[in-house]
Amino acid sequence: MSTPRDQGDRAGRLRKAVDSCSSLLDASNAKRWEVFAKASLTRQTDFVDGKLRRTAQIEESGLGVRFFDGDRAGFAAASSLDPSAARTAVDAARAGATPSSDPMPPPRLLGTTTIPPGPKMPAQGWAQYITSELEIALATVSSGGLRLGRAIVQEGSYRWNLSTAEDWSAEHDRMVASILVEVLVDDRPGTWREWIHIPDPSTFDAASLAARIGNRALLTRHKIATDQGLHDLILHPEVSAQLMAGISPLFLATHVDSDPLPGLLDTNGLLSAYALTVVDDRSDASAPVVSPCDGEGLPGGRTLLLDEGAPRHRVASYSDARRFDEVPRGGAVRFSYRDRPSTGFANLRILTHDGMPAGELLAASTRALYLLRPLAPVICDLERDTYSLIASGVWLDRQRIRGWHPVVELSGSLGTLLRRIDAVGTDLSWFQTPRGFVGAPSLLVRRQPVVG
Amino acid sequence: MERRLEISVSAGTEVASCRMEGGAARWRFPSRWAIHAAAGVSSGAVSNLVSHFADRLDVPPGPPPPATDLDPSPGWVDWARNLTDRLVDRGAIVRYLSRRAVVIRRDGWRQVTSPSLVRIETGPDVGGALLAVWGQPRLGDWIRAVFEAAPAKGWSPPPGLQVPVVLTNGTAGALLHELVGHLVEGDLIAAGRSPLAGLGGANLTEAEIDVVDDPGRTDLPGAFDTDDEGVPAKPVTLVRSGRLCGLLCDRETAELCDVDPGRGRRADWRHPPVPRLSNLVISSGSESPEALEADQSRGLVITRISGATVDPVSRRTVLRVERGFEIRNGRRRRPLNPFELTGGVTEILAGIDPAVGNDPTPDWRLGWCVKDGLPLPTGSEAPTILVRRLEVL
Repeated sequence: MSTPRDQGDRAGRLRKAVDSCSSLLDASNAKRWEVFAKASLTRQTDFVDGKLRRTAQIEESGLGVRFFDGDRAGFAAASSLDPSAARTAVDAARAGATPSSDPMPPPRLLGTTTIPPGPKMPAQGWAQYITSELEIALATVSSGGLRLGRAIVQEGSYRWNLSTAEDWSAEHDRMVASILVEVLVDDRPGTWREWIHIPDPSTFDAASLAARIGNRALLTRHKIATDQGLHDLILHPEVSAQLMAGISPLFLATHVDSDPLPGLLDTNGLLSAYALTVVDDRSDASAPVVSPCDGEGLPGGRTLLLDEGAPRHRVASYSDARRFDEVPRGGAVRFSYRDRPSTGFANLRILTHDGMPAGELLAASTRALYLLRPLAPVICDLERDTYSLIASGVWLDRQRIRGWHPVVELSGSLGTLLRRIDAVGTDLSWFQTPRGFVGAPSLLVRRQPVVG
Repeated sequence: MERRLEISVSAGTEVASCRMEGGAARWRFPSRWAIHAAAGVSSGAVSNLVSHFADRLDVPPGPPPPATDLDPSPGWVDWARNLTDRLVDRGAIVRYLSRRAVVIRRDGWRQVTSPSLVRIETGPDVGGALLAVWGQPRLGDWIRAVFEAAPAKGWSPPPGLQVPVVLTNGTAGALLHELVGHLVEGDLIAAGRSPLAGLGGANLTEAEIDVVDDPGRTDLPGAFDTDDEGVPAKPVTLVRSGRLCGLLCDRETAELCDVDPGRGRRADWRHPPVPRLSNLVISSGSESPEALEADQSRGLVITRISGATVDPVSRRTVLRVERGFEIRNGRRRRPLNPFELTGGVTEILAGIDPAVGNDPTPDWRLGWCVKDGLPLPTGSEAPTILVRRLEVL
């Protein structure tokens, strides 16, 4: 895996690639330009039934160039950091340029914020070690009811360099780790899958991860039961995350004529109950995406989107902010050199400082449907104020499990659902969603119609 | 080794193009597979790649790099720009996707060619609205269908309703992609994780349909002439006259399942090949689709599906219906609002009616298939099929 020397080499290679682009762009008719160069190294280790099945080491690098000549703008990207890649990207950005105003933020807006230092890369053999530990912990926590079928451990590090024609430059490096597990529950034919973000490998705790997996997976052992009527809902963090992804377009800058948000607010101007506060945060060291600036160089940080139910700010790239009359707050994402910076979320997150432990949340309802996992993305029709949530869950009567409901759909008024969120948990976890990374806790929603 | 080109056009922003090149060396040790992947296809990049296995690798001399004919015909950008301008209120993105690769093995090398694709995405849905081969004669018709407005006032079938469902307009392809295509992929079968594992030779359905995975259908998005492990493409019959008879395997799972390989597909050079389907083609019957609808006193007809999944825990499938109609006394009545249908995998297959439509129709709506988080283009063509009972969620 990468060593300090590799990191130094990587920084040097990135700067050299940026310099190659810079020379070509300065020699062209570019009035403004921006180069984003990135290099990463990922190691993926696959285990099946406890045995090492496959190791993969992936080195990726490339650069993306934005170009503006006063009348036209273009973007192009090419893989590798070789001089030929720089020429390919610059030539393609110029050749593909189309009439446009300057899409890049003015130099006065560029800057970086201080972010906490990242964790170190784990030592060689860490993937094997944590997989073995997890295998034992799963068997222990479930008295043999759970067995680790497959595990894919990803460890990686990346570094990027963002530079502009005005000699502004930012650099950043970080490590990332995650594990995808497939767990077999008793002798049932199906498998339980879970992806887990590991913010710091040095604090990885196999026992608590096994408990987290077991707390849900074991519930599917119960006999199948159905019910209907008005019930409290308890959304597991994974279901909450999908719900957040479903409503997330409300937090993106948009044209006032096509903005669905006003139609969803109640008479007090609230979108949800007071319990819900939502931010997009690049500075959270425990989140998957940590960065000193956004994808086009505006200082990174936390953007308050929903403040105790009240909408506050919107996320926007610089050009979208200008187009939709928003204040630019650094809302451009660029996960790869391949991507043009665009409006999006880095880490969409529900704040949990006023939350209650998940156990108390489960105890707060006498009769509830506990939604364990989503079976499809949550569909929210923001214009029509409707949602559709398909999940599997268990019925709880006075904290006792009455049965497992393999597929249940909930639908109705989105505004009503959000305004009936009574409490948030403290059990925040990160998930991959169609809208990017979402950090969400359990949610307690009072009295929602459920059709069996 | 692989070259890719992706061009994307959206209203109000600059045209973006991305050229990617990379390669991966894979070696089978006695106990495991090892892969090393890196950007670049220059001779230096390839030397660096194989240096990790220099003591084991025996590369044949003079393999060529992947072909470079990736660019679209002149005018594509203008065509795409015109389209995004017409779809500006839906935040459309139009993409051109092109790929060339070469697979080098100890015993030689083979070029991999697949058709260039056009993909249309419309917001706020993150998923694609259309995926088709660029140059498909029917592309214009399908794009017109993307523009069609949804019915203003539709009917929502009540949850729990169990009714016969006529899947028309190629939508049965999406259903069988999930129920047959994915569930006969070698990794799921070898691990015993598929509901169809161990059912080889069994009758899945009374309907005497054939289900064939055919990468040679170059009019469909999942086409290729050689898979990503260098195996020449040929059709694989998965179901013959309703009976399960074939599997989709890469080289590794082909050994385990004792069948021919040929479906090792890579999401891109950074990922290893895994068993994936290509184009699922379902044989036609003799019934007219109108007759299948006319036979139903009460039911639903589905004309467009926006998504389908199989839950690995409960092994039930969920179909997201985008468009359709209620059938009453054999006639189409009210249009349907979007809703979901569900059922158990084997129960749905067993419930396919023997009367099958005579109208093979390619699906353009779905096709960007995601497995383990990795997307790949796939295609399907299916006649109208009647499932005797599905449950409304």
